[in-house]
Amino acid sequence: MVKVTVDGTAVEVPDNANALEACRAAGVDVPHFCYHPRFSIVGQCRMCMVEIDGAPKVQASCTVPVRGGMVIRASSEKALAARNATMEFLLINHPLDCPICDQAGECQLQDNAVAGGLPVSRTSEPRRQFPGYDRTDIGPHVIADMTRCIQCTRCIRFCNEIAGTGELTFIERGGHTMVWTHEGHQLDNEWSACAADVCPVGALTTKEFRFRKRVWWLKKTASVCPGCEIGCNISIEHREQVVHRFLPRVNLGVNDFWMCDHGRFLAESLNGRDFLKPVVPDDFLKASEPDGRGRRETNWGEALGLVHEKLTAAKPAAVLAIGSANLSTEENWLLAELFGKTVGTPNVEFDADQGPLRRIRNPKAIGADGGFLKGTVAAPNARGAEAAGVRKASGESALGRLLTGSLVPDVLYVADAAFSARTADPAFVAKLRKAKFLVVHARTRSALTDVADVVLPVSGLTGKDGSFLNVQGRVQRFDVAFVPPPIVKTDLEVLLHLGQRFGVFETRWTTADVFGKLAATVPAYGGLAWDAPAVVGLPPSVSPAASYDVLRPPRTSVDDTDKLPAAAGKA
Amino acid sequence: MSGGAGTPVSEQAGLPREGEHGALSAGKAVSFSPKALARFEKLLTRYPTKQAALLPTLWIAQEELGWISREAVDYVASLLGLSPAFVWGVTTFYTMYNRAPVGKHLIQFCTSISCHLAGAEEVFAECRKRLGDLKPGETTADGRFTVIEVECLAQCDKAPAVMVNDDDCAIITKENLEQFLGGLK
Ligand code: SF4
Ligand code: SF4
Ligand code: FES
Ligand code: FES
Repeated sequence: MVKVTVDGTAVEVPDNANALEACRAAGVDVPHFCYHPRFSIVGQCRMCMVEIDGAPKVQASCTVPVRGGMVIRASSEKALAARNATMEFLLINHPLDCPICDQAGECQLQDNAVAGGLPVSRTSEPRRQFPGYDRTDIGPHVIADMTRCIQCTRCIRFCNEIAGTGELTFIERGGHTMVWTHEGHQLDNEWSACAADVCPVGALTTKEFRFRKRVWWLKKTASVCPGCEIGCNISIEHREQVVHRFLPRVNLGVNDFWMCDHGRFLAESLNGRDFLKPVVPDDFLKASEPDGRGRRETNWGEALGLVHEKLTAAKPAAVLAIGSANLSTEENWLLAELFGKTVGTPNVEFDADQGPLRRIRNPKAIGADGGFLKGTVAAPNARGAEAAGVRKASGESALGRLLTGSLVPDVLYVADAAFSARTADPAFVAKLRKAKFLVVHARTRSALTDVADVVLPVSGLTGKDGSFLNVQGRVQRFDVAFVPPPIVKTDLEVLLHLGQRFGVFETRWTTADVFGKLAATVPAYGGLAWDAPAVVGLPPSVSPAASYDVLRPPRTSVDDTDKLPAAAGKA
Repeated sequence: MSGGAGTPVSEQAGLPREGEHGALSAGKAVSFSPKALARFEKLLTRYPTKQAALLPTLWIAQEELGWISREAVDYVASLLGLSPAFVWGVTTFYTMYNRAPVGKHLIQFCTSISCHLAGAEEVFAECRKRLGDLKPGETTADGRFTVIEVECLAQCDKAPAVMVNDDDCAIITKENLEQFLGGLK
């Protein structure tokens, strides 16, 4: 560690820090574009100018390694003048049309111009145009608009240094410079949308989110990606009960600043709801339905009463409860408790899909292999389900026997209608349907809900909180994004209500209460608290381009210079 | 070298046209001759990393193939273990890599200050006129000549200076232009 002074504040920073990082550590906000904590330093944008005692000229602070005793003046007149000049140069060629740019609201150029730029523009010349290179797809997810590019090279360095695929480059030079791919190649890698995240301006945006919602309308909820067992921390960005996008949420121990495209674009799958009320069999309607399975909507009382009745009447060994690697550990634990202990069946199982390999670059993470964290299970909580006492299904287990036809359960209770991709396969569903009575929790309609006797409408990930146990064995919490419409319950509430009918659960338990109970018995959760910082993670960041801002101490804004200690500008 | 006869004006050498910054396709896969490959191998021994050998490798490609096509970029990238994008970025940074087929004689007129004072523009215009009203960057129909304008050739003492392919030609004036062109076979 070395000691440096920033605007009169002494601060201790690691030996390998640079002057920009020292400023940030001291809580002084130095505007910058090309610096990113995970990329090589290029000193490309010249925005981060500061004065350093002993250096004859202002310096690009990101390029200056700290030394012991270094005195940095980040808010001196000279530094501010230099930054203003840089900002003015950047704006010479930038279209002044933030109102029609989708980055507005989370744009570093906009923010820095507002915070420290001149209030007026001294140039009225036409801005640079790139016919044919504006608003063009450069890959399956990313759209490039070179009129907005400020040539910071972050996107290029992301592809070179994090993805390792190098699809992007600068072509031409000087005022003609732009970011593009080589003809015949696309920006197409497992994390391509992260290039749009790190872009400080609206030059790179994602097809899926572009012009979908002005960002200042979005609410951000800390959550965990449902895509695979890595469990990247994400922010669910939503408005009026609609999910508009996922963004990675910083977690240095898991996904660092990234997430994969597969996970990111699962956002849309959280939208939509087919069931608003529980569905139960109806004898009267039976005759008129071609499949002889008449059903009607009802209230929770009747639906849960029926399930309770069927469960009590069934032989315990003939009950099969299927948990899910998509459900939280709390929900799986309640399922295991209720069915294993109270109903008394040995058959509480889950089955998760093996997915394509998902990878996230984080060489420092526990369990990282070749620089990557890897996930092969296509659901977030296989470990949690197992830890909660829900057994992994096998050929010989009850689910296996049901599939081979050697077991016909009296009651099959499926706590997640989408526990496996196979639930969309009619042959698979037909085998599950062999059960005499079939109950499913579901948000959306599927081949399985079409044949179920009882459908219990649940909220899905957006409507509930809970925790997942990721591939590293890390407990990670997700929060409620928005409350589902009234009669819909969370999986946890459904299980609590059912358990209450058996006299074992209380409906007033919150997720935190259940977490507490399971943490007392499940070794993987041993000693953890619902509110522990490691469980909660970091809050979502304001802007994806400056996601690392959540890591720094509270800041002094540059326009607060008059409030700085006298030492700052003088001496 | 392939002639420019059938090549649209916009795709010919010289200034990249706005909206046309992508590498043109040669329409076929390209590779080095054994002789060029041997030169390339020798070249690698002179540099600490493969990436460092990119510029001279592009020169070999240009000598071998006449210009740097999309396929040539992919080929050079695979030879050096670089991303095609990186190779294309470097190619576009420099003006002396041809991004479209050029004629047998690439006539490069300097119009920077010394040559400008010595009347280079007039000679340039006259030359284009004689070759059949060529625009800068165009190639004659027979594929023999391409004329472009370049910056200082460091022969200011012999202004107006011209370079034909890799060779310097000094003091080309309206008067000796005929003789100069005649000398290019
Ligand atoms: S596209 Fe965005 S990230 Fe890439 S160089 Fe331009 S401004 Fe920077
Ligand atoms: S790696 Fe897994 S957890 Fe991370 S974003 Fe992709 S699917 Fe989601
Ligand atoms: S952030 Fe320092 S030069 Fe760009
Ligand atoms: S100005 Fe023409 S060679 Fe220098």
